[in-house]
Amino acid sequence: MKILLPVLMLLSGAAWANEGAPLAKQNWSFTGVRADWNKDELYRGYTVATQVCLACHSFKYISHRDLMRVGFTEAEVKTMAANLKMTIDQPIHTGLAETDAQELYGKVPPDLSLMTKAREGLADYVYGVLTGYSEKPEEIAKDFPTGLPKGAYYNHAFPGKAIAMPAPLSGPDMVSFHDNTAATVPQMAHDVVTFMQWTAEPERMERQRLGVFVLLYLIIFGVLTYFTKRAVWRDVH
Amino acid sequence: MGKHPADIRSVETNIVKNPAGWLNDRLPIISFLKDNALNFPTPKNLNWAYVFGGIAMVALMLQIITGIFLAMHYKADVKLAFDSIQHIMRNVEWGWLIRNMHMVGASFFFMAVYAHMGRGLYYGSYKSPREVLWGIGVIIFLIMMATAFLGYVLPWGQMSFWGATVITNLLSVIPFIGNSIVVWLWGGYSVGDPTLTRFYTFHFVLPFVILAIVVIHIWALHEHGNTNPTGKELRNKNDYVPFHPYYTAKDLVGIVAYLIPFSFMVFFLPEYLGHTDNLIPANPLVTPAHIVPEWYFLPFYAILRAIPIKELGVLAMFGSILIMFVLPWLDRSPIKSARNRPLFRQLFWIFVLNFIVLGWVGGKPPEGVYVLIARVAVVVYFGFFALLPLVSKLEIAKLKEGK
Repeated sequence: MKILLPVLMLLSGAAWANEGAPLAKQNWSFTGVRADWNKDELYRGYTVATQVCLACHSFKYISHRDLMRVGFTEAEVKTMAANLKMTIDQPIHTGLAETDAQELYGKVPPDLSLMTKAREGLADYVYGVLTGYSEKPEEIAKDFPTGLPKGAYYNHAFPGKAIAMPAPLSGPDMVSFHDNTAATVPQMAHDVVTFMQWTAEPERMERQRLGVFVLLYLIIFGVLTYFTKRAVWRDVH
Repeated sequence: MGKHPADIRSVETNIVKNPAGWLNDRLPIISFLKDNALNFPTPKNLNWAYVFGGIAMVALMLQIITGIFLAMHYKADVKLAFDSIQHIMRNVEWGWLIRNMHMVGASFFFMAVYAHMGRGLYYGSYKSPREVLWGIGVIIFLIMMATAFLGYVLPWGQMSFWGATVITNLLSVIPFIGNSIVVWLWGGYSVGDPTLTRFYTFHFVLPFVILAIVVIHIWALHEHGNTNPTGKELRNKNDYVPFHPYYTAKDLVGIVAYLIPFSFMVFFLPEYLGHTDNLIPANPLVTPAHIVPEWYFLPFYAILRAIPIKELGVLAMFGSILIMFVLPWLDRSPIKSARNRPLFRQLFWIFVLNFIVLGWVGGKPPEGVYVLIARVAVVVYFGFFALLPLVSKLEIAKLKEGK
């Protein structure tokens, strides 16, 4: 039973497929054996997040001071915050008032701090949405023979394929990066999703690094307890 | 029981020379623990399936300890609850670890308890004279399910809110007073702030109730001792070993083996068993596409949804758990262990497999072929219990034939 239950969990986890197009798996710096935050990537992601996303969305669980945990210096962080007219301890809030957003888009844009954990498909899904816009009439006509709903935009990855958010990223060179990387749409999407993954779980690397030691400890301890058990039971068997 | 007061002559142990003896003469706690924990005679032929009781005990303690620390930082207020969880994850020292342990711990607690119940079912641990021990276990399982349900509401995400709405609404099927009961339970006309606060109160209290009932569970266990894989009551003292060091050593291996996958989930996939929708703050105006409970409720959720009449579905769901109380009287076979019961053994594995099918189908949308699968699985679930009296009879007849 103990062995079968995880199988059950696996099946139920994948119970409902996303109704959008299948998501392409991306290569993320925060997954895999050598996972780590990359300061340049985060900086570029931060640039997109604050110059594009922040117009409508907040990152309310994050302040500039948090960036010091991934290698930014206090001076850097202070300048970055000052550019947005913020203090380094202020939560990163959008300037768009909720009432205005309601009027403009028909809904309040969600906070993005937890976005990569709050949608099925996780980071790959958010990347899919950011790069999934299309204006090709034949494609739209295939899914919406009578035309898109009013105020909606066509997006492959979004469930139902009609999204209220206009395509946020357009390239090239919508923003300029600190390291002069070319700001193409896939590049911006990749970096901003990495940044969002960090805002969703800034403890991720710390957690995984500690996890390796905990597991090593438990495995060694487990072997020792097993042989202790054998020694204790020797006279019984 | 203790000695009659008239028989006690004098107690002359010296508090300085023998403080433990002095204490024990006044409160026999040391001899009590020695008799019930250290020296308790335990069958020496218990296999690894018997470690899950000890593991479940550790799981309960981990939930209580991590839960107390979470309670120090959590805010049971609809405006603050979701943010307070993020506060724990981000700002509280080791908050992410404590919270992940609590969250993953709930799932692993259920795994241990399901395995523990499966072992009890396989080796006939519910049979005379252990019916009460089994019944107390079912009570623990029920309270544990209630506690887990209440706890899942506290983060106040979309699944928290809508899960609470769906499940509490089930009580509206009670004739005449159902709707009033639901409103009374909510403390309002929908799941809201009063609901969250009272759910938090009960989520805090019930684990201690569970702990108390676990003590009674062990009390009942120690009246007749463990069953063992042979299913025979061992009447020879040589068949027993003291619990310590034999089973402390063995249970510890089991506990570490449990902690390894548990830690893997805590450190590498903490949110894997949860639902992404629960990272969206609760919104009474937006219903999620599919409302699903946590995986450990899925088999029972499947039973609920398989039946098209709501009232019957609710009855079947509660009945599927309550029927476990009468298991000792449905199964009339004097043979305890499934090892010596070929027919029951097959039935047992069908039941286990069917339970997994129920869990799987409970996570699927209630449409098309899934409805059919769920209905067949519900019939098999209750069919198991219905067939037990017959199976016992057939088996006894076959055994007599063999002789």
